[in-house]
Amino acid sequence: MVRLPYFIALTTLFSYVLIFTIGRLRDLFRTLVDFYRPKSEGDQGYAPICLGLEDFYSRRLYRRIQDCFGRPLAGAPDTWIDVVDRHSNDSNKTIQRTADTRRCLNLGSYNYLGFAASDEYCTPRVVDCLKKYSPSTCSVRVDGGTTKLHAELEDLVARFVGKPAAVIFGMGYATNSSIIPVLTGKGGLIISDSLNHNSIVNGARGSGAVVRVFQHNTPLHLEEVLREQVAAGQPRTHRPWKKIIVIVEGIYSMEGEICKLPEIVAVCKKYKAYTYLDEAHSIGAVGKSGRGVCELLGVDPADVDVMMGTFTKSFGSCGGYIAASKEIIQYLKYACPAHLYATSMSPPAVEQVICAMKVISGEDGSNRGAVKLARIRENSNFFRSQLQKMGLQVLGDNDSPIMPIMLYNPSKIPAFSRECLKQNVAVVTVAFPATPLLLARARICISASHTREDLIRGLKVISEVGDLVGIKYFPVEPEKHLAESGGAMVD
Amino acid sequence: MGKLYARTTPPPDLNKNTEWFMYPGVWTIYILILFFAWIAVLSVAACSPGTAWTIVNLFHFGVTYHYFHWKKGTPFAEDQGVYNALTWWEQMDNGKQLTQNRKFVTVVPVILYLLASHTSNYQRPMLFLNSLAAFVLVVAKFPNMHKVRIFGINAGR
Repeated sequence: MVRLPYFIALTTLFSYVLIFTIGRLRDLFRTLVDFYRPKSEGDQGYAPICLGLEDFYSRRLYRRIQDCFGRPLAGAPDTWIDVVDRHSNDSNKTIQRTADTRRCLNLGSYNYLGFAASDEYCTPRVVDCLKKYSPSTCSVRVDGGTTKLHAELEDLVARFVGKPAAVIFGMGYATNSSIIPVLTGKGGLIISDSLNHNSIVNGARGSGAVVRVFQHNTPLHLEEVLREQVAAGQPRTHRPWKKIIVIVEGIYSMEGEICKLPEIVAVCKKYKAYTYLDEAHSIGAVGKSGRGVCELLGVDPADVDVMMGTFTKSFGSCGGYIAASKEIIQYLKYACPAHLYATSMSPPAVEQVICAMKVISGEDGSNRGAVKLARIRENSNFFRSQLQKMGLQVLGDNDSPIMPIMLYNPSKIPAFSRECLKQNVAVVTVAFPATPLLLARARICISASHTREDLIRGLKVISEVGDLVGIKYFPVEPEKHLAESGGAMVD
Repeated sequence: MGKLYARTTPPPDLNKNTEWFMYPGVWTIYILILFFAWIAVLSVAACSPGTAWTIVNLFHFGVTYHYFHWKKGTPFAEDQGVYNALTWWEQMDNGKQLTQNRKFVTVVPVILYLLASHTSNYQRPMLFLNSLAAFVLVVAKFPNMHKVRIFGINAGR
C-alpha cells in the first residue's frame, strides 16, 4: 500500500513523459546524423547487437545519472567508507576516476551486524585459515572441494536455522537460480510473491514449471490464486499439478517489509503446497537471537519446507545456503548443478561465517552477539522513527533494518544522491527497473556498528538534503515539549 | 487533508512496460497534457481555437499511433524479449480486453475528434483529417484487432 500526494503522482508521470520525449528526440537526431555519416566496411552484413529499442532505457535514462550508481570504493565497507571521486567531461557518457577519495558515512551497505570490516574474533582466525587452506579450493564440492570447514559450516548452519541438514554454495544468487530448477520442473507450479528478487525469478523461469504471481505480501490473494490453480490443474490437460511451491522472502530488500509468514504458512498447509523462504536479508539481522523471521514471528522452522539464505548480508562473507530435511538436502547434493559443477565456497569465507555464527550465538564465550543484535534493533527503530518525524515517507516495518525513503520523481534521484555525497554521506538510490516506474526510492541500511553520533549526523544531513530536494511529503511532527519530561531526553 | 493523498496497491503486473499505467493520476495527466498542449499551440501559432484543436488532434494521432500501435517490444532488455512481437496496446493489462484503462484510452480520441470538429465548425479540409485520425485510432483499439497485422504491415522484427 503506497500513499503518495496526488500532485506528486502527476508531476512524476509528467517528468517521465518529458524524459522519454527528449530521449526519443535525441535518438531521432542520432539516426539522422548516422544516416549521413559514411559507413565503415567492417559493419556490413552484421546484425545489430540490440533489437529495436531495448537499450533505450539504459542509454537515455540510466546513463544520464550513472554517476549515482556503481561508485568505486577504496576500502572495506565499514561504518565509514572511502568513496572515490569521479568526474565526467561529456555529461556522464564516460566517467573518469580521480585519485582522491572522500570519507563518507556508509548508509548503503548490507552490513547489518558490523562484520563487514575487521572483527576482533573473526579476522585473525580467517587470516590463519587463509594461510592454511589457501584462498580457493580450486575444485568442485564432489571432487576435492569439500574441506573440514565446509562440513562444519553445513552442520552449524543447520543448527543455527533449526533444520535437520543444510548445504552451502559459493554464491547467493546462484543458490536460488540453480536450486529452484532442481526442486521442480515441467508439470509443477511455482507461486511467487510479486516483488521477489531477480534470482528467484530467474530460477523460476529456468525451471520449466508454470509460474504464477500473487500480490505482494497478501495471504488472501495467495489463497485465491492457490484455489484457482488447484482447481484448474495444469494448463490444457487439466491434470493435477505435480508439485506446488510458494516462494516468499523474509525481508523484502526494496520495501523493508517483513513477510506475513504465519498466515502464508497456514494457507500453504491448507492447500498442501510447499513453502520456500528466502532469508537473504533477515537471517542474522532480526529475531531475538538472530535466527531470522521464523524466530521473529514465532513460526516453527519445521513448518517451512525449504529455507534459503545468504552469507553476504549479516555474516560479512559470500555464498548462500539451503536448509531443509535430510532427504531434500541429500537429493540436492546429487542433483544440483551448483554443487556438482561449481567451485566450492572459498575456505577463508567459510571460516568467516563460522566465526560470525559463533559470535552471534554466543559460542565464542562473550556477549558481543547479543549486544550487536540489540544494537541493530535499537538503531533501526530510532532511525526510522526520526525519519518519519521529519516528514519523510519511509517504508518498512518496525525492527526491519532496511528503510527506503520514497523519492518518486526521477530528477530527485540524482539530486538526493549527489547532495548527500557532497555532505559526505553515501546513500544508495534505486530506480526503475528494480522498483516500479513511479516508485523510485533511496534505500538506507542500518548496521549494528553505527554509533548514535553517526546516526544523528546521518539524520541531520538527510534532513537538510530532504528540504533542498523537496521530499518531505508528509507533515512534520511537532517537537515534543522537553520541559514536560523534566528536561531529560528519553529515547 | 486526507483527500490530498492517493492510495494505491501496486498490482501484480509483471510487464514493467505497462504497469505504470495502473497508478493513480495517469488519466488526469493524459487529459492535462492534451489541454496544455492546446493552450501552447494557441499561444505559439495564434490561430483559431478550432485549428488549434485540429493540430492537437493530429499530433495526438501521430504520437499515440506510433507508440501504442506501431512500436513493438519494451525499451529495456531485462524481460529477455518476451514481448517483442506485441505493441504497447496489446501488452496492456496482460492482453485482457475491455478493461477500464482500455475503455478510457479508446474514448479520448473520440472526445478530441468531437472537440476539434465542433470548434472548427465542420469545415472541409480539417474535418476530413480529423475523421481519418479518429477512425484509425478507434479501429486500432477494437478487441478484434488484437494481434492482427493487416496485409502483414508491421509484422516484422
